[in-house]
Amino acid sequence: MLLNKSLPFLIILALFGNLSISSEVNIYTSRHYDSDSKLYDDFKKLTGIEVNIISAKSTALIERIKSEGKNSPADIFITVDAGNLWKVQDLGLFTKIKSKKIDNIVPTRLRGANNEWIALAKRARVIFYNSEKFTSDDLSTLNYEDLSSSKWKNKIAIRSSNNLYNQSLVASMIANYGEAFTEKWARGLVNNFARKPQGNDRSQIIAVANNEADLAIANSYYLGLMLSGKKGDKQLNAGKKVKILFPSQNKNGTHINISGAGILKTSKNYSNAVKFLEFMLTEDAQKHLVENTYEYPINTKVEPSKLIAQFGLDFKEDDLDVANFGKFNSAALKLMDRVGWQ
Amino acid sequence: MLTLNNLLNNFWKLIPIFCLFIFISPLIFVLGSLLGEFNDNWSHLIEYVLPSYVSNSLILIIGVSILSLILGVGTAWFVTNFDFFGKSWLEWAIILPLAIPPYILAYTFTGLFDSYGSANEIVRYLFNLESSFIFFPNVRNIYGAIVVFSFTLYPYVYLTTRMAFLNQSRSLMEAGKLLGNSTRLLFFRLAVPLVRPAIIAGLALVIMETLSDFGAVEHFAIQTFTTGIFRTWYGMYDLSTAMQLSSFLLIFVAIFIFLERSERSKMSYSYANSTFKKTDSLKLVGLKNFFAFLFCFLPLFIGFILPIIELLNWAVFFPSENFLSNNLISTLFNTIVLGVTAGILCTIFALLINFLKRFHKSWLLDFSSQLLTLGYALPGIILAIGIIKFFSFLDKSFINLLLEVTLLGSLIGLMLAYVIKAYALASNTIESGFLRINNSIDDVSLSLKKTKLEIFFKIHIPLMKTSILTSLLLVISEVIKELPATLILRPFNFDTLAVTTYIYASEERMYEAASPAIMIVLIGLIPIIFLSKIIRDSRPGS
Amino acid sequence: MAKEVLKIVNLSFAYKKNKDIFSNINFSLFEGEILGILGPSGTGKSSLLRLIAGLEKPSEGEIYYYGNEISGKNKFLPPHKRGIGLVLQEKVLFPHLNSLENVKFGIKGSKKDRKEKALDFLRLLKAEKFSQSFPNSLSGGEQQRVAIARTLAPEPKLVLLDEPFSSLDKGLRTALREETKELFRKTNTSCIIVTHDREDAEIMCDKVLKLEEGKIMEALFSS
Repeated sequence: MLLNKSLPFLIILALFGNLSISSEVNIYTSRHYDSDSKLYDDFKKLTGIEVNIISAKSTALIERIKSEGKNSPADIFITVDAGNLWKVQDLGLFTKIKSKKIDNIVPTRLRGANNEWIALAKRARVIFYNSEKFTSDDLSTLNYEDLSSSKWKNKIAIRSSNNLYNQSLVASMIANYGEAFTEKWARGLVNNFARKPQGNDRSQIIAVANNEADLAIANSYYLGLMLSGKKGDKQLNAGKKVKILFPSQNKNGTHINISGAGILKTSKNYSNAVKFLEFMLTEDAQKHLVENTYEYPINTKVEPSKLIAQFGLDFKEDDLDVANFGKFNSAALKLMDRVGWQ
Repeated sequence: MLTLNNLLNNFWKLIPIFCLFIFISPLIFVLGSLLGEFNDNWSHLIEYVLPSYVSNSLILIIGVSILSLILGVGTAWFVTNFDFFGKSWLEWAIILPLAIPPYILAYTFTGLFDSYGSANEIVRYLFNLESSFIFFPNVRNIYGAIVVFSFTLYPYVYLTTRMAFLNQSRSLMEAGKLLGNSTRLLFFRLAVPLVRPAIIAGLALVIMETLSDFGAVEHFAIQTFTTGIFRTWYGMYDLSTAMQLSSFLLIFVAIFIFLERSERSKMSYSYANSTFKKTDSLKLVGLKNFFAFLFCFLPLFIGFILPIIELLNWAVFFPSENFLSNNLISTLFNTIVLGVTAGILCTIFALLINFLKRFHKSWLLDFSSQLLTLGYALPGIILAIGIIKFFSFLDKSFINLLLEVTLLGSLIGLMLAYVIKAYALASNTIESGFLRINNSIDDVSLSLKKTKLEIFFKIHIPLMKTSILTSLLLVISEVIKELPATLILRPFNFDTLAVTTYIYASEERMYEAASPAIMIVLIGLIPIIFLSKIIRDSRPGS
Repeated sequence: MAKEVLKIVNLSFAYKKNKDIFSNINFSLFEGEILGILGPSGTGKSSLLRLIAGLEKPSEGEIYYYGNEISGKNKFLPPHKRGIGLVLQEKVLFPHLNSLENVKFGIKGSKKDRKEKALDFLRLLKAEKFSQSFPNSLSGGEQQRVAIARTLAPEPKLVLLDEPFSSLDKGLRTALREETKELFRKTNTSCIIVTHDREDAEIMCDKVLKLEEGKIMEALFSS
């Protein structure tokens, strides 16, 4: 194994700053999925360009990029929430992504205003219900707004307000309906919590499968993961009991968030970086993404995984500019503090 | 007059002082945030969340203090004074939970005790109960967190207290016995008050680690001061307020340490002798024997055996091919190299600083080394931010002008983080080691025409072998577990076991996290087992 | 006339500012002389020895050693360069070294020389039997014998003894007192003994000073 032999050498080099190999692309990412590393390997095989990775919390990575200034070795920043992309854009750290290929694949709504960043995959924040308890007809007209109705008292499972996906959802409500309305709504929602917010999205879905709650708010791909059987029979069986409902179909549409990436202004490997992003949007890469993370693809030539496609594909998406998630994130957090959303 | 010769002679004094200055710089960068503006977010924080952050954190540390005192002091008392079933192995096995990071115990706790967790499933299976029946109480709350922290951190109290019990003047205890005190009275009236400084030294470590933790409290969704820091940063994109909050956390800990120190200086704190004779341990029989065994075994069971069983359960049923196939060797190698290097650096540094303090009473030296111990209480990622700011300052003002390299993203940053983070562990151990060496020994050596440096190498170091090794091992086991600072400061493509565990665990992919978590525990066990051996060997009379 | 080994001029000492332990002390010690300093505990007898050994700095005054200033206003010779021998009341043998190694510690020279010399001194103090024993297996008297051997082995010109026999029982004390005195005479070592025990002073010393209430004065008796 080459890696092991060269490791002491690499460490010595690393002691004195960042290595620099002629053909490389340096990525700071807050997506840490195992399956992504196969994409990096494929990219290297295809182009001969070395992919170097640091994965950490996105906010910390942003701080590191900021502090590194013009010396930053980072070429690409990848994250799983549009708010973070907006934040980096707002700090003026991104540069324009110039690529016809990319322009043709990514719709403008899923890009920065001046192509500072692009979406690589989509996820919807949807409602999960127990199919033994409800039919899709019972719930088909359900909007996010209805979740504050006292009808659902002690019936809703959702994770804590520390979670970025929840912050983005609330930020989108503020952008759509204003702060006063959203605050009233959130207060109602908190009253309807089936339990103190806990666990990740998956444990909300499991709570519904186990009838600890009637409705769970969580990201769409979690159900794909559970149904894939990769997480064991317990989760597979729980997953089989629940179905997805796409809320707000008669209104603004279902809340969509993205995994996205941008190229940094200080990038020293700009053309490699563009190549990498183009690669991430190719059919092969997108196929790999959707089959492993169960996100929705950006490249329309690729179908979502069957596990997730079965719940419907032609649902209406909220076409709010995702940059709003970032703009209203702070307001959303404070609002959740005020209504006591733990 | 300062001649070159003079300068060279003082070189060995200047180096540690220079290092000390480097090491506290990141802390200064964090504390410096207090000089900045306090923005509008403060009024929001104060009105809505700060009271609950503070009260939750206080409840947490009070609960953890009480429980880890009971566990740590209780077990130390039993194993030093009594003979009971299993004592010979419990004596050292009691510290094994140190190998389990609190966040891993938290993950396994929810895996076991959630409504559909393994423990509840087993109870249901055994008693043939309905699937809605939940036997164990919910652990995702502050009480669960108190249990998690206490059962992983009590060994710090056990280690310091046991050492102090062993050093306790035997004649004093005998005098107590002759005066007709029962063993129980002796414990509360004499033994505990006498070793109070040692107990508090261990407890300080427990409290600081509890306050700095993020992983476990986040997993249990408890809103503590520390989670508040992150929420402010991540959610409001407001790093400066987050750093100001961290500074207040540091100030709180500083006040605590100051009070403890001034309290300690009021009582003369001396270990009777460097040599001691075996205290006769009382042989327990019957119910007392069983109770003593149970009392010492329970913390080991909850803090070590139980989480290992659950991790093995996950790892066996859901093997993580990815982890085992790919990077295991390099990840393992990284973890060990970092741990050992940091252990050596930290220990040498603590030796030098405490040696200097022994000969030069300087408030500046005292103050700055005390400041450095606060690093242990700082949440890892805020420490990392301090380092990032400090490095980017250095890079921009000096390094880049001279060289084509940056300090940021180099292993130097990681090392710096580890030294700051673990200095308290090293310093506490080394300091008490120095205290145990009679000052007159130095005086006599000086009169025998030995320089201070010769005394250091020929007298102090050989006499402190145990303390040095203990410090080394505590730091290694801490670094192996360290997570948040590693995550953000590491160079490209550089993984450690804790990082690999976290990457899975942060998304509650516990099955994949199990294999690296077991590796952390196994690697962490190596220093702990060495430490256990030291404990065994330090049994008086043997 | 015998050489003046030590000259103390107007010496004052204070732990904290304005809290003098003693002030304006003057006396001299001549070669081969055994000087006793007598006084109740807490009068600063030990501090006086520490000042002479260089373990503390005086607040005022000078100390001359063989005519050279070793402590003074702008002058301070660190203790390891003075090489003034020190024997303390406490048992301060190095616990990790055996008796022989303890005595060897301060001797300079080749490995062989050091060993021989150390053995010589152990013999002089009748401690050769336990040259291989470690301090924690020795009795108080045995430990003090080794400690005195250790101090004398580098052949210092001046030895300071701080209550050297106070922790020993009576029989042992008398014996060791006599032997030590004999040894100092034989090696022509000058010596200051600090003690609160009148008998110690009377038996061992050529001259006795009294330190009381921060002042020094000639004792009433003299041998």
